[in-house]
Amino acid sequence: MDEKASMSPAQRILKLIGLLTVAGLVVALLAGAWLLGRFGADTPVVYKDDVDHFKYGSLGSEHEFGVPYWIWRALPELFADKLPGKGLESLGFVFEKGKVLPAGMSQRRYLGFDLVWLNCAICHTGTVRESSQSEPKVYAAMPANTFDFRAFTRFLFAAGEDRRFTPRDILRQINVIRRREGLRDLALIDRLVFRFYAIYYMRERLLTLRDRLNFIKEEPEWGPGRVDTFNPLKAYFNFPPEKLSKQERVGTTDFPSIWNQGQRETLKMNLHWDGNNVSLEERNRSAAMGTGITPPTGDRPSLKRVADWLRDLAAPPYPFKIDKDLAAQGAPIYKKYCAECHGADGKDFRGEYAGKVVPIDEIGTDRHRLDSYTYDVAVNQNMIFAGYGDERFSHFRKTFGYANSPLDGLWLRAPYLHNGSVPTLRDLLEPSAKRPKIFYRGYDVYDQKKIGFVGDVAEEKGKKFFLFDTDETKEPGNSNKGHEGKRFGTELSAAEKDALVEYLKTF
Amino acid sequence: MADAQKKKSWWKICLLLIVVLAVVGGAIGWYKFFREEPQPDWVTATPDMRFKYGSIGAEHDAGIPYWIFFVLPRMFPEKLPGPGGYASLGVAWEQGQELPIGFTKKVIGFPRVANNCASCHVASYRKSASDNPVFVPTGPNHTLNLQAFFRFVVDCAKDPRFNADEIMSEIALVYKMPLLDKLIYRYLLIPIAKKRLLEREKQFQWVYHKEFPLWGRGRDDAMNLTKYFLLNWPMDDSIGPTDMPSVWNLKKYKPEKGMLMNLAGDSHDARSVIIDSALGLLSAAPHNREEFLEQIDWLVKYLGEKQAPKYPFPINQAQAEAGKAVFDSNCARCHASERTGTRVPAEEIGTDRERLKTWSKQAAIESNKVVRGFGIERRGLVEIEPSGYIAAFLDGIWLRAPYLHNGSVPTLRDMLKPVADRPKIFYRGYDVYDPVDVGFVTQGAEAERVGTKYDVSQRASANQGHEYGTNLSAKEKDTLIEYLKTL
Repeated sequence: MDEKASMSPAQRILKLIGLLTVAGLVVALLAGAWLLGRFGADTPVVYKDDVDHFKYGSLGSEHEFGVPYWIWRALPELFADKLPGKGLESLGFVFEKGKVLPAGMSQRRYLGFDLVWLNCAICHTGTVRESSQSEPKVYAAMPANTFDFRAFTRFLFAAGEDRRFTPRDILRQINVIRRREGLRDLALIDRLVFRFYAIYYMRERLLTLRDRLNFIKEEPEWGPGRVDTFNPLKAYFNFPPEKLSKQERVGTTDFPSIWNQGQRETLKMNLHWDGNNVSLEERNRSAAMGTGITPPTGDRPSLKRVADWLRDLAAPPYPFKIDKDLAAQGAPIYKKYCAECHGADGKDFRGEYAGKVVPIDEIGTDRHRLDSYTYDVAVNQNMIFAGYGDERFSHFRKTFGYANSPLDGLWLRAPYLHNGSVPTLRDLLEPSAKRPKIFYRGYDVYDQKKIGFVGDVAEEKGKKFFLFDTDETKEPGNSNKGHEGKRFGTELSAAEKDALVEYLKTF
Repeated sequence: MADAQKKKSWWKICLLLIVVLAVVGGAIGWYKFFREEPQPDWVTATPDMRFKYGSIGAEHDAGIPYWIFFVLPRMFPEKLPGPGGYASLGVAWEQGQELPIGFTKKVIGFPRVANNCASCHVASYRKSASDNPVFVPTGPNHTLNLQAFFRFVVDCAKDPRFNADEIMSEIALVYKMPLLDKLIYRYLLIPIAKKRLLEREKQFQWVYHKEFPLWGRGRDDAMNLTKYFLLNWPMDDSIGPTDMPSVWNLKKYKPEKGMLMNLAGDSHDARSVIIDSALGLLSAAPHNREEFLEQIDWLVKYLGEKQAPKYPFPINQAQAEAGKAVFDSNCARCHASERTGTRVPAEEIGTDRERLKTWSKQAAIESNKVVRGFGIERRGLVEIEPSGYIAAFLDGIWLRAPYLHNGSVPTLRDMLKPVADRPKIFYRGYDVYDPVDVGFVTQGAEAERVGTKYDVSQRASANQGHEYGTNLSAKEKDTLIEYLKTL
C-alpha cells in the first residue's frame, strides 16, 4: 500500500510542520554559524618582528577598552576642534611612515569589529631629532617624551561630551574618510551595529571613565612624557577620591625607559620609582593594566613575548659624537660619586646600593610620588589577579624613599629625576637653585651639549610645547630639588661636570 | 506479548537514565556546594600563620562567597569609613597577603570568606611614620573598626544595587567565571547571601542605635553581641564597647585559684572563653563538633603558651630597675599578687560601669544552656550578676594601649594622671607608637585622619577610676613607666 495515500490530512500537516521545523533549524544553524564567524572571533593583528610587536602588537586591552577602528579614525577629524593642534600628532602620538595607527596602538578583531587600543609602547616609545630640520628617529622602549597622556584622555572625554558624538555624525565622518581612501561605505551590518549600539555604548563608557578619573582635574598638569601612576589605580579600586588624604593626591612621574629588564630582575632590583616591587613579572602585568588589560582579558602569550624581548633589549647607543678623551676623564669621577648607587656602568648594574631604596630625607627629591603610593594601595593590590593562581599580586610593598636606578641609555631618559623636573644631565649636576626654574617639555630636538632635549623652544611650526614650572607652591609634585650636595656631584668643578656628562653619553 | 516486553525494557532504560542523572546531578551538587577542600599548606605552616589565616569552621554558616566579598568595597565604597577598601576598616592586612589577618578563605563547594580569632586579636604597631607595620598575633586589634565592618556588610545587602546583575558585571571585570559557577552565583549565592544578611538585620539593630556613641576603632561591644547573636534577645538599652583584649599567655589564668576571665570576670576559664568567642564567629552550632573541639584544643594550647612580645624600643635598665620598686609598692598589690585575675568591685576601682550593665546572670544561664545544647561541655559563663572588673595581668602592657577596659586613656603616662588631667578627646586606631608616653600616637593630623575620635564624655566611654599612682613624683612615674616597658 502506498504510504502517502494512507496519510490522513492531520498527519500530512504534522509532516509539513516537521519538515518546516527541520528547515528552520538548518537556517538557524547556518545563521548561527555565520554570526559566530562574524562576531565570535578574537584575533589580534600579529607582527613577526619583535619591535613591531612591541609597538603595534595587542596585549588584549581591546577586549575591555577597544574603540572600533573606524570610529577611532573618525574622532580626530570630527572633533578636530577638541585637539590642541593639527591631528593626533598634536597630542604627541608617534606616527611612523606608512602606519595609520600610532606607536602604542594595537588592533584586534573582537565582537565582530576591528578594535584598537593601547599597548606598552604608548608610554615607552619616543622620538629624537638631531635638529629641527632632521627627520625624527623612533626609539622603542624609551620614555614617550612627546606623548601627552592626559591631553589624550581630555580629548576623548571632550569628544564623548560633545553633541556631535552621535551615530549620524560619526558614520558620516567614517564614510567621508573611506571614500577619500577609495573604500566602499561600511557594510550594512556594521552600520547597524554602529548606529544602534556601538556609538551609544562607547559614549556611555567614555563618560563613565571620565567621571572615574575626574579627580585628575585637581592635579597639576602632567604635560608630555609624564603620568600619575598610582592614583588611577585608586580609581580602579573605586576609592572615593575626595576622601583621599591631601598628600597622596599627586603622583606625577616621568615615563621610564624599559630596556635591559633582565639584569634588573637578576639583581632583584626594586622596580618603579619608589621601588615598590621586586617582581619584574608582576610589575609588567601591573603596568599592562595601565594600557587597559584586566585579569580576565589580558593576552598572556603576547605580554610574555614583550616581557621576554625587553629582558635582553640593549639601550640604544648615543648616536652623536663623543669626545673619547673627555669621557675617559669622566669615568673615575663616575666611579667615585655615582657607581655605588647607580651601578658600575651602563652595562653592568652592580653596585652596593644599586636598585635599593634611598630614604626620602637622604635623596631629598619631591616626595609627592612617594606619598601617592600608600600602604592601603599596596594591600589592595594583593587582590588583583585573584582567581588566577600564582598570577595574584603579592610583591607590592610600601616604601619610604626612591629607588636607585641603573643609568642604561641615560641620554634618552631626559628630563631627569623621577618627576622629570630637570631638563638635562648637565643641569642635574648643578645645585637645585641653579637648575632651570621653567623649561619646555615635549620637544624632541636633542641638546648634545647638555644631554637632554632642548628645553627653551616654546613652539615650532604651530606646535606648542608644554611649559614645565618647577615651582612647587604652584605645581605640587614638580619640585626640582634634591639629589644635590657633595655626594651627588653638584659641587664638582665645571670641567669635572663636563667630563662626567661626556662619560655618561657612553651609557 | 512482545509489545509489553518492549514497553517494560523502555521503562527500565528510563528509570536507569533518571538514576544516572540523579547521581550525576547529586555529585555535581555535592562538588559545587559541599565538598570541603583543605586550606593550602602555607596556612598551617607555622602556629602563627594558622592563628592568622586558619579556618575555625566559620565558613559553613557565616561565610561570604569569595567573589561577593571581593567586589563589595568596589561597588559600595561610599558605605566604608574612608578610601582604601577593606583597609579603611583598620583590618590588619599584611603586605603580599590576599586577605587581611583574621579573614579565612576556604573552599566548601565554592571559595568562601569568614573570620577567625585573629581578626580582633592581632595588634599592629609602627616604630615611626616611615615604617611599615609590625603585626603581633594574639595582640589586641586596636585599629579595627568592627562596628563599621558590621554596618558595611548589612548596608551593602540592603542596597538595591546588591543584585545579581550588578554584582555579576562587577565580578566579570576581575575574574572570568566558568559558566556553571556563573549560574550558581547569579541564581543561588547572590540571592541567598542577600537574604541571609538581611535576616540578621534585627540582630544588628543595636549596631545602628541612634543614641549610642560609635564604638570607634579597637573596641567591641562583646557581651551585647552574645546577647543578640547567641541568645537572640531583643535589643535593650545597654551599651558597653570595650577594648579588644590581648589573648597571649592565657595559661596565666588559673581557675583553680579563683581567677576569672573576660574584663568583668564573666567566664570561668580560657577554654570557655575561646569556645564562646569561636561560636560567635561561627554564628551557629559547629558544623562538625569533633573538628570544632580539636580547633579549640589547638587554640587553648597556642594561646596558653604564646608569650607577650618584647618592647621594641630601647629600655633604660637602671631606670626600670628603680621603677620596679615603685611598682612593687604601688601596683603589685593588684597586678602581681593573689588578687590579679580576680574581680575587683566596681565601687573600688571606680571605672565606667556601663559595660557591667550589658550582661546579667540570666544571660549567662541561658548562654550556657545554648552551648550545652550544641553538645559542647565547658565550665562556661559565671552565673552571677556582674559587679566589678578583673585586676589585669600586665604582660605586654605596652602594646595594650589605650588603657582601662573601655580604652579611655591613651597612654600609660596618662594613666598615672588624675582623671581631670587625662585627655578628654583623642584619636584611636593610628598605629604609630609613642615610646615617650608609652601607647599609640593619639593626637596630630595623621592620628586624626586615620583614627576615630574618642570623647570621654560619651556614654560608656568615661575615663574615670583607677586613680592609683597619680600622686607619685614625676621621677617615680618615669621610672615606673620604664619598668612597665619590661613586662
